[in-house]
Amino acid sequence: MESSILDSIGSEIIGVMTPVSLCMLLVVLLVYSLSPSEQSLSGASDPFRTAANLVYLERPDDSSTQKLEGAVLNALVFVILIAIVTFLLVLLYYYNFTNFLKNYVRFSAFFVLVDFAHAEVLLCSWLGTMGGSIFLSIIQQFSIPVDAFTCFVLLFNFTIVGVLSLFSGGIPILLRQAYMVCMGIIMAAWFTKLPEWTTWALLLALALYDLFAVLAPGGPLKLLVELASSRDEELPALVYEARPTVSENERNRRSGLRFLLGGVSDSGSVELQVVSRDNADGRENHGNPEYSAVNVGTFGNEMHERSSDEVERLPLVGHLRDGFSSSGSSSDRSTSVNRENEIVMEEEMSPLVDMSLLGNNRQRASDSLENSLITDRGIRLGLGDFIFYSVLVGRAAMYDLMTVYACYLAIISGLGCTLILLSVCRRALPALPISITLGVLFYFLTRLLMEPFVVGTTTNLLMF
Amino acid sequence: MTVAAGIGYALIALGPSLSLFVAVISKKPFLILTVLSSTLLWLISLIVLSGIWRAFLPLKSTTWWPFALLIISSVGFQEGLRVLFWKVYKRLEDTLDAFADRVGKPRLFLTDKMQIALAGGLGHGVAHAVFFCLSLLTPAFGPATFYVDRCPQMPFFLISAIIALAFVTIHTFSMVIAFNGYAEGNTTDQYFVPVVHLVAGMVTLVNFASGGCVVGIPLLYILASLILLHCGKMVWRRLTAS
Repeated sequence: MESSILDSIGSEIIGVMTPVSLCMLLVVLLVYSLSPSEQSLSGASDPFRTAANLVYLERPDDSSTQKLEGAVLNALVFVILIAIVTFLLVLLYYYNFTNFLKNYVRFSAFFVLVDFAHAEVLLCSWLGTMGGSIFLSIIQQFSIPVDAFTCFVLLFNFTIVGVLSLFSGGIPILLRQAYMVCMGIIMAAWFTKLPEWTTWALLLALALYDLFAVLAPGGPLKLLVELASSRDEELPALVYEARPTVSENERNRRSGLRFLLGGVSDSGSVELQVVSRDNADGRENHGNPEYSAVNVGTFGNEMHERSSDEVERLPLVGHLRDGFSSSGSSSDRSTSVNRENEIVMEEEMSPLVDMSLLGNNRQRASDSLENSLITDRGIRLGLGDFIFYSVLVGRAAMYDLMTVYACYLAIISGLGCTLILLSVCRRALPALPISITLGVLFYFLTRLLMEPFVVGTTTNLLMF
Repeated sequence: MTVAAGIGYALIALGPSLSLFVAVISKKPFLILTVLSSTLLWLISLIVLSGIWRAFLPLKSTTWWPFALLIISSVGFQEGLRVLFWKVYKRLEDTLDAFADRVGKPRLFLTDKMQIALAGGLGHGVAHAVFFCLSLLTPAFGPATFYVDRCPQMPFFLISAIIALAFVTIHTFSMVIAFNGYAEGNTTDQYFVPVVHLVAGMVTLVNFASGGCVVGIPLLYILASLILLHCGKMVWRRLTAS
């Protein structure tokens, strides 16, 4: 029986959603398993000062207006800091200090990983007072017996492999993805320690900033992306280059999802984009016979697409599906390497833009064939998105499980909306605004409206 | 031990849906998306309902008729939403078919359609179990348990898990029945689903009487098995006919 189209549609979206969900799940678990110990400790622990609450330290006994003002100020300062850092990065990149940037990002990633490694070492030698570290709390919570030496060796290895896998080739893609999620979790767990009001203000402010930075003319991230693509370079940052997971087994058809840490690891710069990237080397690396075969295949496909495009125009979602599922369908045809899938995908997505130029379709088709052969594309999701989605869910987890589910659903649907928009706009889009807005909205709706309703009915053993 | 108990309650409520998810849904990305969107839809419906009823809460737990009103309104709203869901799905199906024509693949098979309906139902069911049972389960992981006065036979968490399981079953398979009924224009099926849903909601009112859960839960399970049986017969008929 021929495989139905249902098998392949939407795998791209799921490919992005899976790691995000995983990251959120782990952060929630972390928050849950750590919060009891923190509550018992928190009597002693003072609110600590970080870049995110420079202005105002929230105390439980402050009045609401005080909290609100302080939180807004904190968020403002933090966003301004981020904006300055990002502009600095853009400037540096503009003047070609690429090496400096690369090393800086390398260093900061190392620092993030070492940060808890460091605290870990301290803990193991019973010097540890750094209550902020994650592993420390985990080990404390579950009272895992580890000696200092083992602990040190393990963490050293963990960190080194992590930094290597993030920056050099030849490491299995799965490992990279794992480390990327790991970094997201570490950062998110750190952010969940912020006081409540500051967290909400910060999230909203970041969503706004993201909107500005990616979309506004002169926004730093927009500049960065444009600059990078005009130079045909990688983004000068911790670019998560998910070479497509090899699709020898046909289950694994999703083309690579890439995480993109545009800017610095702690700047939370975020974007979601379909990136066209120069693929000249890939072209050379590929076996030529194989490639020409694909040429023919995709060309035919393109023509077919074109002719049917003339006949009917599907709604936008249909186009999205085209793009996604065609990557699956083409891998039936040529199951060589996933990059071809991406090429085909690019090709079938490109008609979205120039559909009005259908007149000279043969010319156009061959044109876009040329173009698409030298670029490949995939969905990149910024690490910042991972972090702040997880922060939102983690914050929700401190209230109740119900808010967690509501926020999760809201964020995921926001991500879905952004992906659909992405296929329509075909440019870098901020991934935070829709999701964060929906998430915050659902959090408060759930907390204020739904909770009393559900608890009221359920404790009377009524359901429907 | 308490963690084990908490996980146990969660698995009672969601275990069957979990295995259904792993076995059928998780292999096809599109079905996962369907589950997610249907869950979201149910959540939205719940939020709207609670927004409407918020002004009257908390209801006095001595009189039963406000709760009856609540259930009737909720079921009515959700069944209306099901019709909406069907309309959206219908459009989606056309889009998918058109797309299948374009890439030269076969149109949606009957099993595909049923799987989509199943995924939609599963989303509703999972949302129900999550919000009515799982989200209240947090205390169950702690060192104590909780009994309600009206049903002293079992811990509250166990009762809610058992009831949630029945409702998961009802929601999941009634969506298959309903979609099939709409597709065939079969009026019996179209009315069968809302009626069963309403009756199931009303049966939980039996729990209102002291010790009523001993009667109410078996009744609920009779309804759930009725739905299962009906769905099974219907699918068998369709599959053998085609």
